[in-house]
Amino acid sequence: MRTTSAILSKIFTQRFYIQNTGFFLVLFYLLFGVVNGANLVAYHKALMLGFLGNYSFLLLVMLLWTSYALKCVGFILKTFQLQGYDFLFPTLGSVSKPARIRLWLLLHTAIYMPVLVYAGIALIIAIQHQYYVPAALIVVLNMANCVWPLRLYERKLAQPDVLFFTSHLQRWLNRHFTKPPVLFFLYELLTNFPRRIVSTKLFSAGVLWLTFLIMERGEYFDLRGLQIGVMVSVMIHMQLMVHHRAFDDTYLHFMENLPIRLAGHYARLIGVYLIMFLPEMIMITVNAYTKTPIGGLITVFCTALSLLILFRCLLYFPKMNPEIHVRYTMLTSFIVLFMILGHYEWPAILLLQAASAIIFFKKYRSYEPYIPPES
Amino acid sequence: MPDPVIALHAVKKNYQDVPILDIPQLELPKGIYWLQGENGAGKTTCMKVMAGLIPFKGEILLQGNVSSRQHPVQFRRLINYAEAEPLYPSFLTGRDLLELYLNTKGGDREAVRDISDSMGVDIYVNNPVSSYSSGMLKKLSLLLAFTGNPALILLDEPLITIDTRALTVLYDLIRTYSAKGVSFCITSHQALDAEELTVTGTLKVAHKNITLS
Repeated sequence: MRTTSAILSKIFTQRFYIQNTGFFLVLFYLLFGVVNGANLVAYHKALMLGFLGNYSFLLLVMLLWTSYALKCVGFILKTFQLQGYDFLFPTLGSVSKPARIRLWLLLHTAIYMPVLVYAGIALIIAIQHQYYVPAALIVVLNMANCVWPLRLYERKLAQPDVLFFTSHLQRWLNRHFTKPPVLFFLYELLTNFPRRIVSTKLFSAGVLWLTFLIMERGEYFDLRGLQIGVMVSVMIHMQLMVHHRAFDDTYLHFMENLPIRLAGHYARLIGVYLIMFLPEMIMITVNAYTKTPIGGLITVFCTALSLLILFRCLLYFPKMNPEIHVRYTMLTSFIVLFMILGHYEWPAILLLQAASAIIFFKKYRSYEPYIPPES
Repeated sequence: MPDPVIALHAVKKNYQDVPILDIPQLELPKGIYWLQGENGAGKTTCMKVMAGLIPFKGEILLQGNVSSRQHPVQFRRLINYAEAEPLYPSFLTGRDLLELYLNTKGGDREAVRDISDSMGVDIYVNNPVSSYSSGMLKKLSLLLAFTGNPALILLDEPLITIDTRALTVLYDLIRTYSAKGVSFCITSHQALDAEELTVTGTLKVAHKNITLS
């Protein structure tokens, strides 16, 4: 017969480590893979002595441990929200409080274990080298990180509708701030598909970083080079555009009954991509404002936005599936690339804008999702 | 004869190559209409066409002169629609949606607040719709259909999933708005309560057409 803790361990602990395999692989590589095996112990001992002997460094390490604790808490609380996991409320709710606290402690420490192991070794080193105050801080912090989450788990069990500890802020925002339609899709990405937007933004930032690195190594700055980097960055956003269309098709159907002018809908579309590309625009400005006049930056931003908007507008052709979309975006990009290389940036921007507007105003009201006929 | 509240001229709707609606002519004077039809007959498609939610061939006129093609914005001000199974983005709150409707459709905020209170929507309006039950979602969508200054309100299966108190409020609202000159087109598989509502006419969707009896 399986014990309750074994079943819960399967639900929480095993799932946590399976879902975070990638995270642990990267972490283990950074901690143990980048150092020569022969020097590994000496390296980690030096690292521990480093943070034990410096309070600023220790604070940073403690912040990292606490952020990992937050990750653990988030995982357990989110499990309760998952479809099919409702049974946790009546089952765990039927366990006596002391036994339940023990179960929480067991589950939480099991997923917090990597930090406990590393902190435990650091503690031994601290005592050996008579770093008593840092040792005490490590003990207190890790005990706290094992205990305070239990209170949250208890609270979650008693109030199933309360989400994490951002709930108060979220509720306050919901009462005092009305989400404008221009933010709907960004909310969708940030709340329901955070990995998708984060990975897109990381890749996009990586491409821009590489663009600046290549130009810096070559000791030159050419606006056209930057624009080519920006074009690649825009193309990385294509998966978000396809998602945007699916989101509009599924959830924003009701907006078609609202008395909004076509120009209003178009302005909203432009706004979505302007806000979405804002992080890249900031990154470009920070890296390029000393190398090019403001006019150059405006040209780059206009090219990026024009491409984003046209690529999204292409999806107003109902039969434009992701495969066909890629073909058209590649073709457009090649044409724009040669226009940029030939210093025809503004004619390219104007053409892109005109094409976007024509497609949007012609297609928006008549668009409806394409359902492929059954073969 | 006064101008019809809604007039459909040569309205056709296909899904891919399959014709769903083919209505040569339909004119409805002011009143409350019960739209009937079997499952899949095209009731919801018809309502979505009337509400400007989906593209179609032909033309629809509201109040004799507001065209679905020439005056798309004015057209949408005059017609409201509550879906049978409303679906909204999970992160939006009822208040977000209510503000959006009030900001675009306009109308009396105080009156809408009263309806919200009487239906019990005010209790959960600040919560995200992902936390709503189907009944709560339905009440919100019915409330949204009473925003603005519509000439015609389309209610798709309004009687299902809502509680008896909300149902009483809904019947009362339909009567009150109807007395003010607002017309209604209601689909329902259940018979509308004859003691609560006096129906002007019954519309039957069959063979891709709509007939008034």
